Amino acid sequence: MHATDISIIYVASFAILLIGYLTAISSKDVIRLLISLELMFGAVFMSLIPLFSAISNAAFGIAILTIFTSSGELLVLIYAIIMLDRQKKNIYTSSVTIGGDR
Amino acid sequence: MLLLSALACTAVLSSLVVLLTRDNFYASMFMSATMIMVATIYALFDLQPVFVLIVFIFVGALGMVTVALAATYRFAPERQISWLWALPVVITAFILAFSVYAAQLAPLGKIQFALQRFITSEYLLLIIFLTSLTVLLLLSVLKMGLKYKDNEGEES
Repeated sequence: MHATDISIIYVASFAILLIGYLTAISSKDVIRLLISLELMFGAVFMSLIPLFSAISNAAFGIAILTIFTSSGELLVLIYAIIMLDRQKKNIYTSSVTIGGDR
Repeated sequence: MLLLSALACTAVLSSLVVLLTRDNFYASMFMSATMIMVATIYALFDLQPVFVLIVFIFVGALGMVTVALAATYRFAPERQISWLWALPVVITAFILAFSVYAAQLAPLGKIQFALQRFITSEYLLLIIFLTSLTVLLLLSVLKMGLKYKDNEGEES
């Protein structure tokens, strides 16, 4: 694996991660927030590729763990979106300002 | 290297479309495209098991649920980008890209990873079936989105 390949992978993964952050910051509804989270996980998966060159078996284990943990987390968020819609009758992030106060 | 650059550029561009598009439905479609590109980069390095996991879980399952959610909760599209935050993000991107360029990363060895008897004929058939199912799901979701657009056009 050439140094250029590693650089391309890291630069692309950082770019996707930052775009994910910007999408999350500027999101006005929770579905856009879910999409931005999935983008961020995509960036994390991409940055795992060079690890396969050094410790391939451990990297595969880490990849499986990351995939299942992140997909579980996203499923919880999907459930939270549905619950938010049931309670607030909308899915705007502005309606999630109270937190656990009430 | 050319193919890797093309795939990485496509992934970054489709994620940029996610940021710039007004409609959540198209944003989720382009998010799925980004995930497919990331998975394809894994396939490029002969890491097919991870490709299968990412495509089936993140595109086939979660991607489809996200697209369906975006199609269900569809309302008047509006621009969702904070230009105020774009500046620090661009500065961070520049610093990160420069640090990767200046780090002069040492080349790593060739990726040698293979699961024992991963691609058997039965497994290949299963993968083809599941891929066809994912494509069918994608088409039906697209149809759902277009139907909504037609109804909206008739109302106005």
